[in-house]
Amino acid sequence: MNRLLNFGVYCWSWIATLGVFLVVGLLLSYLLAQGLPTIGKELFFGDAPAWEAIFGQVRVWDALWPACVGTLFLVLLATLLAVPIGISSGIYLACFAPKSFKRVLSLLVELLAGTPSIVMGLFGFAFILFLRNTFFPDANTSLLLAAACLALLILPYLIFTTQAALESLSDEYRLIGPSLGFSQIQTVFHVLLPAAGRGILSGVVLSIGRAAEDTAVIMLTGVIANAGLPQGLFGKFEALPFRIFYLAAEYQTPAELDSAYGTALVLLCLTGMLYGSALALHKTLELRWNQHG
Amino acid sequence: MEPTRMKHQPFCIIKNLQVSFHGRTVLQKINLTLSDSGIIVLVGPSGSGKTTFLRSLNRLNEHYPGYSGSGKIELKLPGSMQDIQDIHSTDLEVTELRRQVGMVFQTPNVLPVSIAQNINLPLKLVTGLDKVEREARLIEVLQEVHLWDEVKDRLKESSSRLSGGQQQRLCLARVLALKPKVLLLDEPTASLDFKASHRIEDLLIELQDRYQIIAVSHSLRQARRIAGQILVMKEGQIEHLLKKEQFEDLEMLQKLLDEIF
Repeated sequence: MNRLLNFGVYCWSWIATLGVFLVVGLLLSYLLAQGLPTIGKELFFGDAPAWEAIFGQVRVWDALWPACVGTLFLVLLATLLAVPIGISSGIYLACFAPKSFKRVLSLLVELLAGTPSIVMGLFGFAFILFLRNTFFPDANTSLLLAAACLALLILPYLIFTTQAALESLSDEYRLIGPSLGFSQIQTVFHVLLPAAGRGILSGVVLSIGRAAEDTAVIMLTGVIANAGLPQGLFGKFEALPFRIFYLAAEYQTPAELDSAYGTALVLLCLTGMLYGSALALHKTLELRWNQHG
Repeated sequence: MEPTRMKHQPFCIIKNLQVSFHGRTVLQKINLTLSDSGIIVLVGPSGSGKTTFLRSLNRLNEHYPGYSGSGKIELKLPGSMQDIQDIHSTDLEVTELRRQVGMVFQTPNVLPVSIAQNINLPLKLVTGLDKVEREARLIEVLQEVHLWDEVKDRLKESSSRLSGGQQQRLCLARVLALKPKVLLLDEPTASLDFKASHRIEDLLIELQDRYQIIAVSHSLRQARRIAGQILVMKEGQIEHLLKKEQFEDLEMLQKLLDEIF
């Protein structure tokens, strides 16, 4: 009986893993089949000459380039805003917070994690309305506002993964610092954080993905279809997920729908590139810690 | 090298030491004066409070949840006897106490960094020595624990590639690099094979003139081999403090322990 159960669990694990691979594989190949033929100069730059378009000397219409730049800026800005706050909060919760206070804080972070992204977008929109009616009549939705709302959205991922990575270190490992006469701050920054680096990195990667694909937040906070390249922090911008959304919703010709697949493929590659950079950054930091402290 | 210490002088005076975790008493009313005559080995059944006693001496118990303690511990550190539990003391901060009272754990807990960095990082953070001095100290302590010849060509390799015995010697070197006065060893050979254990024991016997060593041991054979005094613990109390002549005869010792347990 026991052997049968073991065999059953073994088979089920295999089928489940295979299923995941199959679904991801199918999805990717469908996306590749539909999107790959559309990838080319025209998808990115339309009728505009490529080099001039890249440097913003010529305006690009009905093509991807401004949305690529928009999404890149948006994700970088949101990550820059969220990572320091998220990781610091995670450190505080794992290493410094008094027990009772920790419970309250964790509940608040869970609440934030459970907030739907459209609500974050509404919050940003309402905030701008408030500013317009009070101190800044000229305030408008913009790249900075969208990035700030996205930062709020990804904050819980960063906090949770940092906290979990730090708390999963063994008690013996935690005591190395104090037993050698390190202060608490030294223990956290020189012993615990580097060891938790891999876990924290996975949080950063997860939040990059989340920030890159979210459409609901940016729809209410500054994205528009034909903004061109982002004109600074307070300007409007284009973004890849929003472009996919409106191409898929309002396409006029089959070619336009195909270009939505192409756009999805580009978004996937862009996110992959950001993952790669996060990984490379982590490797560099790890090497530095390893050799020089 | 440190000068040989004055023998048979009291170096640790403990009065009414009581420690509990989450209200459960682990050490009860310990009164004890330890004098400097070789390695002090703590023996006793598991759960008798040996490790907690050891951790009282560098105040590491305070890092465990639910800790509460009372009593007084005075340790002879450079200068004079100092009350190590006086948290308001400006003379002795807890970080400085832990530098002077080094600790090696049951299982080797190297940092997951290079061999050299395991010694360099604490040196840099705690002592503030410059790079040249740190390198000199690194070589000195690796030689002191007889690890230098084995690792001198691979100092930049990850410490996790070392064997268990080598890792434990690296942990010892890491502590020695900070020039402690007292060494606390919590069953330092528990996770090692016979040969590696023997090597650590030889090393401890060698180091006993330079550092006051207090070790927990699970093996009577080991205790007899390295100890100058044996402290027998039972149910959170010190049952006996045995001098060398009392435990040299194995039969007598066995009989005594059978009576206690």
